[in-house]
Amino acid sequence: MHEEAMVRDLVRKIEEVARREGSPRVTRVRLWVGALSHLTAGGLRDRWSLATERTPAEGSALDLTVSTDPNHPRSTEIVLESVDLAAPGGTV
Amino acid sequence: MIERTIHVDYIARVEGEGALKVRIRGDTVEDLELKIWEPPRFFEAFLRGRSYREAPDITARICGICPVAYQMSACHAMEHALGMRVHGELRTLRRLLYCGEWIESHALHIYLLHAPDFLGYPDALRLAKEHPEAVKKGLELKKIGNELMQVLGGREIHPVNVRVGGFYRVPTVNELAAIRPALERAMGLAEETVRFASGLSFPNIEEDYEFVSLRHEHEYPMNEGEVVSNRGVKIPMSEFEDVFEETHAPYSNALQSVHKGAGSYLVGPLARYALNHDKLLPRARSIAREVGLEDVVRNPYRSVIVRGVEIVQAVEESLKIIDAYRPPDEPYVEPPASFHASTGAAITEAPRGMLYHRYRLNEEGLIQEAKIVAPTSQNQKRIEDDVRHLVSASLSLDDTALTDACEKAIRNHDPCISCATHFLKLDIERT
Repeated sequence: MHEEAMVRDLVRKIEEVARREGSPRVTRVRLWVGALSHLTAGGLRDRWSLATERTPAEGSALDLTVSTDPNHPRSTEIVLESVDLAAPGGTV
Repeated sequence: MIERTIHVDYIARVEGEGALKVRIRGDTVEDLELKIWEPPRFFEAFLRGRSYREAPDITARICGICPVAYQMSACHAMEHALGMRVHGELRTLRRLLYCGEWIESHALHIYLLHAPDFLGYPDALRLAKEHPEAVKKGLELKKIGNELMQVLGGREIHPVNVRVGGFYRVPTVNELAAIRPALERAMGLAEETVRFASGLSFPNIEEDYEFVSLRHEHEYPMNEGEVVSNRGVKIPMSEFEDVFEETHAPYSNALQSVHKGAGSYLVGPLARYALNHDKLLPRARSIAREVGLEDVVRNPYRSVIVRGVEIVQAVEESLKIIDAYRPPDEPYVEPPASFHASTGAAITEAPRGMLYHRYRLNEEGLIQEAKIVAPTSQNQKRIEDDVRHLVSASLSLDDTALTDACEKAIRNHDPCISCATHFLKLDIERT
């Protein structure tokens, strides 16, 4: 339940970025996953396709960098690093 | 394709969840660990240096379902430290506020979390589709509990009207009278809830619990009383840490409590009822008798009936309080103007069981040390014991059925990771 909410929160943010940039489609999303973030790469991937369904991020590639450093200052967090967007009017 | 990369630095909020790891060798459960990954929130640490007045509001944020419990334990612990007592109508209004929380929390658990387990639904949404009347009843009861919290606490979740010494503002007679009709309706719904719960089918399991709860001379316990158990504990709440201790299991972020030298114990409705059924009000006692509820319930699945009886008790008590209400002259007792360094401790009965707070204050009334022992951490070890017995008796089940059975056994105790345990990840290793 909480993971679901978190992934949907990320997707909302990604949609907002795409909308702001005037892009119709998200092609790639890069996430950084802290070592103590309580969320596994598998858990994230499982929920990703469902959460992005019928959004501009549907079908996008998900790149995960999973940190193993518990002492990292952001070790408990999930960071949305970047979003690749198809340019407005670009050929998809 | 033309693409560009937009750099974002956005952090998603991270929430907790629970998992259960079971190692089975042949037909023996070798190892069983209930992991709670709820990230540590360091409340005890960041209370340090804050004024004693802030503890009720800060600790209320620990839980959205039982904020009143945190406020009550914090207020009583501070009043203990400051040598104050809250009497009369202010004490009674605190009980009324707590009744609201018991009603909403128990109704939520019975109908939205526990009932789907007994009726064969994966969750309340699917239950609502086929039994809308049951879910409606639960939501209506919850709403009435919330209304009480709204009137007394200023809002339903994380009330803002509670302070050390009493309240910032007390309700008028008319404000309380206005929710009486809703409470009368709640009484009917609560009694129906007990009948509904007692009609469910329960596995034939009994556990040998050490029940621990408060016990008060004149009333079903909420804010005051001694700590008692069915195995001879009888101590003032200030001696809690002499008898019970928190230990840290390396696999879990939640601390586990044990009765020193004795092991796991159970707090919550089963314990309260077993140790205080003689203090129930007449209608609560009568409905328990009507459905044939024994005085001591050792079947954890039947806790759903006990919660129902406690809703009747809370509604009955609320009506009694409202009918006798005369607003106090002042909304709070003024804390002393000068301090000396002191320590105060208190336990109150959250819907899920005893909630212990202890604070050490300096001569300026600033918190130097805080200790909070929540009901879920007290029950965690006992929940592991329940699940261990269940798994030992159910080894022939496949992993899916076993996971389902374990989730239900955990939910019996309404752990405050309830939402997360719906997604319990069961890791079974069979050799």
